[in-house]
Amino acid sequence: MPKANISNDIRRLRFEQGEMTQQDLANRAGCTRQTIIVLEKERYVPSLSLAFRISRVFDKTIEEVFEYSGEE
Amino acid sequence: MNAFWTTFVLLSGLLVVVLVGRLMWLNRPQAELRDVPPAPLERLGWIGLGITTAIGAGLLMLVVLVGTDFIDVNTTARLTFWVLMLVGFGIWGASWYVIKRRSGGVVVDERDRAILARSFSVESMIVLLMLVTWTIALTEAFSDEGVMPITYLQLIFWSTFIGGAFGRALGIVLGYRREIVVDA
Repeated sequence: MPKANISNDIRRLRFEQGEMTQQDLANRAGCTRQTIIVLEKERYVPSLSLAFRISRVFDKTIEEVFEYSGEE
Repeated sequence: MNAFWTTFVLLSGLLVVVLVGRLMWLNRPQAELRDVPPAPLERLGWIGLGITTAIGAGLLMLVVLVGTDFIDVNTTARLTFWVLMLVGFGIWGASWYVIKRRSGGVVVDERDRAILARSFSVESMIVLLMLVTWTIALTEAFSDEGVMPITYLQLIFWSTFIGGAFGRALGIVLGYRREIVVDA
């Protein structure tokens, strides 16, 4: 199965939003802190639902938070 | 206990250690994931791995010390086995409530659920491997007689049950060492 290359700006957006902690973001997006950590390290591709929830926390669109650059 | 079963138990134990060690090595965490604190479900997986290993070792000890028919003939050994099972699985179950209480916020999310679902493949692989091993060993041991003592059915069930639980815990631990891609 091809692996999707999806990068994100979660870390930068957290700091722009008053240095929001990973736990705060996790609580607001409805996931665990560990998932936020692996997302920031780009070692995990979230479901569409989680991507939407994270984007809404930052009041951004999905494309402003996540960037899709094809598959390998 | 005769030489055949002693060799069988020792070789099976060795095979499990080698296979689990190999799996752990092949799935060692990538450098970027080494400093990630364990998720609640991962903690439960590690606890389960320890508990099922202890119960499995206890069962092996009983078979080696008392014999394969310990469940039917030896009350002390049977009681020891049930205490081991109830206390072991009881601690595993109770530890989940402790972990849930200590973790703030969401305890299980989509990544955890994906890992839990994938852990079934490790569980089924171990159960299948155990059944194959039992079939070969019992066929070799009792092919001349044409019949086998009914006590082995209990041993097959309990060892496979414990092996399955061990496989599920191992699958969870391995899942967190891999990169998970969700295409939901």
